Amino acid sequence: MTTHDGVSDASADSDRLTDSQDIIVAENVDKWFGDFQALDNVSMNIKEHEIVVILGPSGSGKSTFIRCLNRLEEHDAGRIVIDGIEMNDDVRNLNAIRSEVGMVFQQFNLFPHLSVISNITLGPQKVRHMPKAEAQQLAMQHLERVGIPEQADKYPAQLSGGQQQRVAIARALAMQPKIMLFDEPTSALDPEMIKEVLDVMRELAESGMTMIVVTHEMGFAREVADRLIFFDEGALVEQGTPQHFFENPEEERTKLFLSQIL
Amino acid sequence: MADMPMQQPPGRIVLPPHRVRASRPFSVRAREWVRRNLFPSRNGTILTVIAVGFLGALLAGVIWFVFIDANWRVITENRWLLFAGGYPREEAWRLWMGMGFTFMLIGLTYGTWSSFGRRDHIFVGLISAFVVFLMAHGGASIWSSLWFLLAVGVMYLSYAVTVRMPRELGPIRTLQQRVVGGLLILALPIALMILLSGDASARQLDGFVLNLVLAPVGIVGGLAMAIPLAIGRASRMKTISWTCTAYIEIVRGAPLLGWLFVALFILDDVIGGSLIVRAMVVMAVFTGAYMAESIRGALQALPRGQYEAAHAVGLSRLQALRLIILPQALRISIPPIVGQAIAIWKDTTLVTVILPLRELKGNADSAIAQFEFTPDRIEAYVFVAVVFWAVAFMMSRISQRVERTLGVGER
Repeated sequence: MTTHDGVSDASADSDRLTDSQDIIVAENVDKWFGDFQALDNVSMNIKEHEIVVILGPSGSGKSTFIRCLNRLEEHDAGRIVIDGIEMNDDVRNLNAIRSEVGMVFQQFNLFPHLSVISNITLGPQKVRHMPKAEAQQLAMQHLERVGIPEQADKYPAQLSGGQQQRVAIARALAMQPKIMLFDEPTSALDPEMIKEVLDVMRELAESGMTMIVVTHEMGFAREVADRLIFFDEGALVEQGTPQHFFENPEEERTKLFLSQIL
Repeated sequence: MADMPMQQPPGRIVLPPHRVRASRPFSVRAREWVRRNLFPSRNGTILTVIAVGFLGALLAGVIWFVFIDANWRVITENRWLLFAGGYPREEAWRLWMGMGFTFMLIGLTYGTWSSFGRRDHIFVGLISAFVVFLMAHGGASIWSSLWFLLAVGVMYLSYAVTVRMPRELGPIRTLQQRVVGGLLILALPIALMILLSGDASARQLDGFVLNLVLAPVGIVGGLAMAIPLAIGRASRMKTISWTCTAYIEIVRGAPLLGWLFVALFILDDVIGGSLIVRAMVVMAVFTGAYMAESIRGALQALPRGQYEAAHAVGLSRLQALRLIILPQALRISIPPIVGQAIAIWKDTTLVTVILPLRELKGNADSAIAQFEFTPDRIEAYVFVAVVFWAVAFMMSRISQRVERTLGVGER
């Protein structure tokens, strides 16, 4: 028993060592929706503290990919390892991964029947079993971090879109994740509110959070990203630094896409 | 957060405050309202005149019937028959106690989560005046009306105590909410215990009391069955979903009359118990199937993002259901659930058709079967109809208030 455990522990450790700082490893990931192949052999390694921005036309699989990273979608083939934990049908692994990965949605998805502060304390209290007072203190810290502590007792419907999205970011941060996923966080916002959300994300990036961001905000991508990744038709087409991307992209499809949106 | 660069709250565009605009005097607004809503055009004026004439004639007819034509002795002479039928008089204290308990709960609930408005006071006043008039008419039993007034007094007393408690969140508020909430959850069992703990003769609920007991049992029992059924039907586990679907479709596929036959002939061998208990089970089973469909609709109406966000925060399936999905789904399904509750309230009259049980309408039949009162059948049935309407109306008003109270934070 002990030997067996010892061996498997050692192999897990060596896995971590070989992956060194790769906090996310995706290998040959496929995803099908019925007959439609949403992800086609996607492989990607992401280092700790890295800011990755994923670009691509709609339907290119970029959202599907990051949703696979916390198992809102199940991948059909390939391997996904988050911080050394393999994503499989083991519920304990899944819970461990979900608590390390925070997610921010396009439509905010705040819980409308709970006040702002309860939205944030819910996870720490129910999943981390944190005492209420401590959870509230934590929630207020994160509300201050996103700049709206005065909204704590309001309900989501009483806030502007930008404020709601900042609460959603605070809610994800309160679980103290190692990785934050952003699925088009500004696409549902009025133009004057986009900046306030991007400012929060920028500050988060500076603090050293590992971030994967699906967005169409090219300014943000150019300025904040360590690496840009271009998806098309479910496949990873090209990746590189912002400089590489915006100054001399190699692939024809990347050029075409950039020429359309810039 | 000291090590974090502090974020300035991003600047929002602030417009100067609006100047205060002059409001128009009431007389002007009233004239405007009348013109726009009653006499907007030549044809509109004609329609208004016709409608007013029609409503006036109707009102005159009703007044003529109620105060001149009708002979209400069929009601006043048979008031105990209509109210409690063959229920033994010496056990009547159980009824008064059940009534007092219910009224106390109403007072506590309003005092804790809502407040009485002028309309509520008027409503209570009208009902009290009506009951006192009915009971004291002819001077027969002054005690009944005193018991009723005592129950109203208990209601106002418990309201007065709770409404003065602080509403701000704190240990006192939490305690108050838990005590009143706990009482509400236990209300039905307590009330049933008060009513049914006597000997066999005291368990023969009859008349209006039977309606008042059957309907809440059907509603609460139905809701308790409906929640797991709705969740089960939406389950990904096919065996569970098929079982729940089969239950719902089979129960909804036959009329309540048919299920009451089941209570009469089949349930006797299966669960035994008195006819009243069997009727309660059938009411709950029947209502549960309908309510389950209302709740399932609400579950499907919730945006997928709510489930996803719950999972992304790390909640388990059960936690997501209990903390995120059900609170929202139940709030959405209040209107159809209350619709179903009002339907089952009126359907309590059906027990008379099938079972040897007598509720209000059945006892109205008995009242006019007496030779002396046969000419007054219209009065008897109008009275029954008005009583049913009043309770149904009250249910719909309470549901509106619950919706408004729970409406905080609605998208």
